[in-house]
Amino acid sequence: MGRIEALVLLSTLTTSVLAAGSTRPRGVGPEFAKFYKSSDSFTCISNPSITLSPSQINDDYCDCPDGSDEPGTSACTYISTLSPPQPLTGSAPNSSVALPGFYCKNKGHLPSYIPHMYVNDGVCDYELCCDGSDEWEGVGGTKCEDKCKEIGKEWRKLDEIRQKSARAALKKKDELVKEAGELRFGVEKSIANLLVEIKTQEVMAAELQKVYEEAERRERGKVVKSPGKGSKVTILAGLAKTRVEELRNALTGVVSKRDALKEKVAKLEAILSTFKEEYNPNFNDEGVKRAVQSWENYAANKGSDADESAEDRDIESISKPDSESEGINWAEWETADEESDVEALYKIEEYLPASLRTWVHQKITDLRIMLIENGILADNANSGSESKTVTDARNSYNTVNDDLGIKKSSLADLQGDLTKDYGTDDIFRALKNTCVSKDSGEYEYELCWLDKTTQKSKKGGGNTGMGNFVRFDKLYVDEEVGADGKGLGQGERFVLMYENGQGCWNGPNRQTTVVLACAEKDEIWKVQEQEKCKYRMDVGSPTVCEKEVKVETANKDEL
Amino acid sequence: MRVSSTPSSQWTALFVLVSTLCTLFTPAVSVKYENFKTCDQAGFCKRNRAYADTAAATSSWKAPYALTSDSLSWKNGQLKGTILKTINTNGETVRLPITISFLESGSARVTIDEEKRQKGDIELRHNSIARKERYNEVEDWTIVGGLGLSKSAAESREAEKTTVTYGPEGKFEAVVTFAPFSVDFKRDHVTQIKFNDRGLLNMEHWRPKIEKPVPEKKEGEEETPAPEVPSGEDESTWWDESYGGSTDSKPKGPESVSLDITFSGYDHVFGIPEHAGPLSLRETRGGTGAHTDPYRLYNADVFEYIMDSPMTLYGAIPFMQAHRKDSTVGVFWMNAAETWIDIIKEKEAHNPLSLGIGSATDTKTHWFSESGLIDVFVFLGPTPKDVTKAYGELTGYTQLPQEFAIAYHQCRWNYNSDEDVKDVDRKMSKHQIPYDVIWLDIEYTDDKQYFTWDPLTFPNPIGMLEQLDKSDRKLVAIIDPHIKNKDGYQVVKELKEKDLAVHNKDGNIYEGWCWPGSSHWVDCFNPEAIKWWVGLFKYSAFKSLPNLFIWNDMNEPSVFNGPETTMPKDNLHHGNWEHRDVHNVNGLTFVNATYQAMLERKKGELRRPFVLTRSYYAGSQRMGAMWTGDNQANWDHLAAGFPMIINNGIAGFPFAGADVGGFFGNPEKDLLARWYQAGAFYPFFRGHAHIDTRRREPYLVGDPYMGIITQALRLRYALLPAWYTAFHEASVDGTPILRPHYFMYPSDEAGFAIDDQFFVGSTGLLAKPVVTEGATSVDIYIPDNELYYDYFDFTKYEGQGHKTVQAPLEKIPLLMQGGHIIPRKDRPRRSSGLMKWDPYTLVIVIGKDGTASGELYVDDGETFDYESGAYIRRAFEYKDGVLESRNLGTKGKLTDKYVKTMKNVKVERVIVVGAPKAWEGKSSVKAAGKDAALEFHAEEAGKAAWAVVRRPQVAIGEDWKIGF
Repeated sequence: MGRIEALVLLSTLTTSVLAAGSTRPRGVGPEFAKFYKSSDSFTCISNPSITLSPSQINDDYCDCPDGSDEPGTSACTYISTLSPPQPLTGSAPNSSVALPGFYCKNKGHLPSYIPHMYVNDGVCDYELCCDGSDEWEGVGGTKCEDKCKEIGKEWRKLDEIRQKSARAALKKKDELVKEAGELRFGVEKSIANLLVEIKTQEVMAAELQKVYEEAERRERGKVVKSPGKGSKVTILAGLAKTRVEELRNALTGVVSKRDALKEKVAKLEAILSTFKEEYNPNFNDEGVKRAVQSWENYAANKGSDADESAEDRDIESISKPDSESEGINWAEWETADEESDVEALYKIEEYLPASLRTWVHQKITDLRIMLIENGILADNANSGSESKTVTDARNSYNTVNDDLGIKKSSLADLQGDLTKDYGTDDIFRALKNTCVSKDSGEYEYELCWLDKTTQKSKKGGGNTGMGNFVRFDKLYVDEEVGADGKGLGQGERFVLMYENGQGCWNGPNRQTTVVLACAEKDEIWKVQEQEKCKYRMDVGSPTVCEKEVKVETANKDEL
Repeated sequence: MRVSSTPSSQWTALFVLVSTLCTLFTPAVSVKYENFKTCDQAGFCKRNRAYADTAAATSSWKAPYALTSDSLSWKNGQLKGTILKTINTNGETVRLPITISFLESGSARVTIDEEKRQKGDIELRHNSIARKERYNEVEDWTIVGGLGLSKSAAESREAEKTTVTYGPEGKFEAVVTFAPFSVDFKRDHVTQIKFNDRGLLNMEHWRPKIEKPVPEKKEGEEETPAPEVPSGEDESTWWDESYGGSTDSKPKGPESVSLDITFSGYDHVFGIPEHAGPLSLRETRGGTGAHTDPYRLYNADVFEYIMDSPMTLYGAIPFMQAHRKDSTVGVFWMNAAETWIDIIKEKEAHNPLSLGIGSATDTKTHWFSESGLIDVFVFLGPTPKDVTKAYGELTGYTQLPQEFAIAYHQCRWNYNSDEDVKDVDRKMSKHQIPYDVIWLDIEYTDDKQYFTWDPLTFPNPIGMLEQLDKSDRKLVAIIDPHIKNKDGYQVVKELKEKDLAVHNKDGNIYEGWCWPGSSHWVDCFNPEAIKWWVGLFKYSAFKSLPNLFIWNDMNEPSVFNGPETTMPKDNLHHGNWEHRDVHNVNGLTFVNATYQAMLERKKGELRRPFVLTRSYYAGSQRMGAMWTGDNQANWDHLAAGFPMIINNGIAGFPFAGADVGGFFGNPEKDLLARWYQAGAFYPFFRGHAHIDTRRREPYLVGDPYMGIITQALRLRYALLPAWYTAFHEASVDGTPILRPHYFMYPSDEAGFAIDDQFFVGSTGLLAKPVVTEGATSVDIYIPDNELYYDYFDFTKYEGQGHKTVQAPLEKIPLLMQGGHIIPRKDRPRRSSGLMKWDPYTLVIVIGKDGTASGELYVDDGETFDYESGAYIRRAFEYKDGVLESRNLGTKGKLTDKYVKTMKNVKVERVIVVGAPKAWEGKSSVKAAGKDAALEFHAEEAGKAAWAVVRRPQVAIGEDWKIGF
């Protein structure tokens, strides 16, 4: 009877039509009353060609292929595509039924339909039929007293809470939307500010760059560097020494890392070989067996590892610090040689009178710069240390330029954030960096909005990642809604997909489908492992509340 | 070669390959299929096969067993004497007392023991405290009746032999030849069964171990084999035997028993479950398609078992039937030790004088058990029903289960929490899929401690049970025999303090590993242990409600670190019997204890227990249901189910089923749908799945599969009255529920080996569920010239032979044989309990002779009140245009009361399939004197004419007639 839910709206019709109800045959809802009015004959609702005598209505025998002659009994329940086909009741077996169920008037509460399957089966199905009218025949001595008064009262009480909660949920949602809007506005404002700052800074950076370049140009022209005494060889030696030192440090670092890893591998191998010895093939776990097999293969190939001792010896000697007796004797190279004649030539200025010197110097510098710029002379500006002017100019430029880079990247981030999907109305922006958790017996679950889902077992062990947020989605669900209003209900629901969580032993990476339904506050209702390592979290949240809050009726709640 | 790591789909092929290679080239190399022995690896199996080979190869072979005629006495239908076994060339003998009992039922029993051991006149090695006798208590667990001795049996003795005439009208004879000892069992003067025909009788008598001096090895000299023992016997497997890293101390040395049993003129043998293979057993030595190893019976937790194999499985019923045209006979080898059975078929009987019958094939079997007595029952038929009935008289008929137990069971390893259970329950209701029972595997317990609930995941078991009870549904929870060895666990504390666990060879409490880790095993051979066990199920001890029932798993017993995944054979049970002696009956004793416990959990609440067991022995049928263990989600395993279930059924244990959907692996949707269609015809119908598989409750599979599965389930529910009637029949005379062709048509040779189609009880329903992938039709074999009708649309089939029946995915090939009346309840409900007050539909399937008949048995479905007459048993007969309901019951003190409660349960309609043409135009019939409308549908397009009587309103429990 997949159509029960269609009658949800019934609650609204009830009072108006109910007046005529007293003469309807048992089990007929007011909207079908018109089919049962005639006292001469009855026509099957979906099969008008079949006419029955009124005595055949509710005589506990199914005459209509659509079951409409038995609104008050279970006689036509076999008419269903779920029942094994039989040629009974005419030529159209298993056609669908005309009535949504047995109509329980439920005076004092909301009327509802109960599946005909539940009629006279000896069970008082009060959740659907609080007046007990489904057991009118009293089979096997079944007595179902009318409980509508108390059930109705309780329901109205709960309904009031639900309505209130629904209103509050909407309000909460509005707040969230507002908050999200503010946050968005904040981001936009930051972007605007940044844009201005960047512009100013770009100008500044351009100026500083000019200054720096000029300083550098001048610097290049200097023939003689200030502190740089010594030949090219000694300079090279100095550089080489530093470099070697760096390499040596790096090597020792890598070696010790390798040793640590080796130790880890050994430990793991020990664990695995114990595992292989001690695992029990009768635990019937194919995954374990596969793991054992892979380990065996691995272990079998492992013997082929080359002997590393020679290599280790080399590394050891290499990593010893250089000294006179070992490695490179840097001292030998670092001592400056005699100045060469060529070098002396450059010092001609020193022999000139001061007045001439400035002029000559200027000319030589210009010439030299010209030569360098035309590629005739080698630029040796970098080969030695530079002047403070250049350093300062560069530093000023770099500082401004770096800051500019940072600003630009924040701008990109912010702009990215602005275009990122935060759901309808940007609402999840308001929940960014917040989490909800639930204690569900064996595990504690945590959902971090648009971030990740985790699980923590109370029986020990750390947190297990159940997935990282990847996208929004939609999912059709068909679930109960409890009396407390918790539950997904039926229809298309908003979904957050979390994927690529921690890998499962003998299974895929964990993933979580977070299905949202409207609720006053963020709350994980239920977590199920639908199949191995694929979880579904049913979550209540105001984020997905809709403006027109449906008034849930009792029958829907419980079906 | 590491067989154990290959994907399961390749198992079979690999195993066949490996075993073939091994037998071809290196018989000594072990075929390592998981941890289970081949015959070559089991000392006594190897010895007895070798003994058989020697006998066959020796032209002048003469069995060294002679019954001394002067020892022979005859009294009250019992022949007693002593067999002398000559044990060496000096003519030394050992005395083997023999008793041949002729029972009132027409069965005969041959029991051979060893005198020295009866008297305790032997010495055990290793200072063992084990019992010295051969184990003689199997019957305490197995036999519940039928041992009354024949008053009419008469002996007539001659010099060389003696002949006892017995059985119905003195038609049976047992001719006992003295030297060498042999027995011929004849019916109507024709030999049917011969004992020791081939001279393979062998009872390894007790002997002391003589330590032989080890010859000193001279340097440089190659090791020479030990000098031959004077007798020429190979002692290598007599004493301590090692296998898979564990050593069996064998304090009694070699003690096996063996006998060859020839079925003269019989081409087919059935039975000796449990094996995955065809109903008609294969040869095991030579011959085309023969197995290489004997059929083995040694209850074991076999992981991912393979198809078509003589390998042992979880249960053992050493009961074999032989069948030829118009004759069925059987033997029951009552021995609980490890047992192997070799089967060969010989085209020409070596004694042409014994012929005079159609077939010239003899089936020669050779039985050997590791220890215990030779204790064999012989059934001479002549019908299959005679044999199963006689066997059931001894070991008991199948329990009449609670009615819910034959409805659908929804199981999974595991439903994770009480909320999960409730959720499945709600969803089944919501999707209008009927089910009666939801199951909990081991994870519900607190840390694998039975009788507890996990406080985190099952905080509210009572609330869960209450919700289920609302729609009359039940819960089955698993309780296994291994008790977690953990401080603070009350159950293990008591087990230890009261000393009720199985002991190791040294007499200390045995410790092994199973699901909970370190565990002890309750020893249900001990009456005190049973008493204690019963107490554990009281509501005060195990928090639950009356709608909780029990599943006993792992009771082979499964011990993860034991040899062949079970207990060491030298473990000691109550009375210091070695585990070796009792192994195969061990599982039964555990279920027995649980059955006792579940009878009356609270004073005054006496109800029929429901216990599912994995391990079983002859007699387990009295206590509950079995299933075929851990199968796999593939088509081969689906196909394997029916032969296994049918074989179990003819071996007295019909309440059997296979896991629907396959335990290991994820079934494709079509496989799952087909499996439900098949499962609807398993006497025990349960969907089950491994913990690593995807959820597969029927409402999860989507369209059209959910609809197809629900139809199959509803078909089962509609036919529950017929199923319950069939169970009742099985419970009173042992007739199987799924009846193979040879059983129904013992003259039709073409049907003897058929095991993929069957009749359901006495209903005339002939089913052949589809078990192959992608099939759109099946060929059903029709054994007679009766009319057959398609169950769903009344298409007619006529004439003997194979008929093609369309079978698209949504259709189950199911025919109704003419001549039957099938009771149904057509209204779907949430559970079988809620159908209790629903009216019946009677389907009259008119036979060729214009008649039909059927039966219905009804009771409250849960108590033992039926034993006091609280039941309805009706015979329906349609003849000469009149349908009559007659009482078949015997009035008891609760009969009237019960019938009164049922007075409002009526027949809502009578469907007549194959209605006479003459009814055309007829619009009413007289039902119990009143008019009821009749609707007639003429024959069209190959579909039979049918008619339906509307609301005859006759009560199901009363006498009435409907005149057409």
